Amino acid sequence: MAVRILIADDHSVVRHGLKTILGEREGWEVIAEAADGVEAVEMADRLNPDVVVLDLSMPRLHGLEACRQIREKTPSCEILIVTQHDSPQMLQQALLSGAKGYVVKANAARDLLAAVDAVSQHRNFTTHHNGGANTK
Amino acid sequence: MKVRILIADDHEVVRRGLCTLLQSHEGWEICGEATDGRAVVEKAKELKPDVVIVDVGMPSLNGLAATRQLVQQDPNCKVIVLTITDSDQVIREALDAGARGFVLKSDAARDLVAAVEALQRNRMFFTPRVNDMVLAGFLDRGNGARNTPPRLPHLTPREREVIQLLAEGKSSKEVASVLNLSTKTAETHRSNIMRKLGFHSIRDLVVYAVKNNIIQVQAPSHFSATGDEVA
Repeated sequence: MAVRILIADDHSVVRHGLKTILGEREGWEVIAEAADGVEAVEMADRLNPDVVVLDLSMPRLHGLEACRQIREKTPSCEILIVTQHDSPQMLQQALLSGAKGYVVKANAARDLLAAVDAVSQHRNFTTHHNGGANTK
Repeated sequence: MKVRILIADDHEVVRRGLCTLLQSHEGWEICGEATDGRAVVEKAKELKPDVVIVDVGMPSLNGLAATRQLVQQDPNCKVIVLTITDSDQVIREALDAGARGFVLKSDAARDLVAAVEALQRNRMFFTPRVNDMVLAGFLDRGNGARNTPPRLPHLTPREREVIQLLAEGKSSKEVASVLNLSTKTAETHRSNIMRKLGFHSIRDLVVYAVKNNIIQVQAPSHFSATGDEVA
């Protein structure tokens, strides 16, 4: 299934890594990259991607607020949070903000493809605190 | 001749990004990858890379301590420090450890290739902020170093390693195992550290390790809508 993806992370080297991993899946296309929350909201609004891979700790606009704004302006777009925050509280806040998936950066290389696959089909995907994954 | 590069970061997604970025440059190859500071020191000994790129915030042995060991092991080792922050202290410690390059993760796509190229020409590569700081330090020395920051208590590199391991939650026995010491020696290091720093609890030590970038912790989960993390 073709999936159009927007990546938002303030570290260019992380964007490169995410793009490399996502590029392994045939038919998936990274259509744009954003370096902060404001850019992510604007690009999601303009490009209408299927999935936004969104970091939380970003300059100008925090990822959670960006998540809320993207869900409000572009409800068809699903959001996967990819973050260093390995905490149940942050996971809960992300889901309450409208994210469909949550992956901890330490596990991103392992979980990213399965997570994007799940959220692109409107299914939840979260990484447990102990590193396990959960989809429903 | 190929330029052989060894990279060290505890996040695979970052290592993948570094590989993509660097391997697209003709004549460069990634000769090895490491996930912590101890592994990069060992791999450098074995692989003899031309350039080593180390992340600052790595477990077990942080990137600054690893840089110090890499340069001690081979004074010609060319190390680029990759970091999320260019705070004065991190810059100072990176320079002191012997790093020849300093690149922010946010700017890595723009700066990293230029940094490796600079090191290949036996030059150094620093961000504009590092250059300003080095220049300011030079000018300060000319003015009698009136603004020299207060010196921290002198800790040996081994004591800094022990601090990181203790702050990561390891017991003296576990520290001894990681560093190939006897438990008694590890306990002596621990006592010396506590005495030098005037600390009475591990909590004090953890706070010290965080404040001095010996370990890095993730930001608190509270946040403002503008993206500024607040405690």
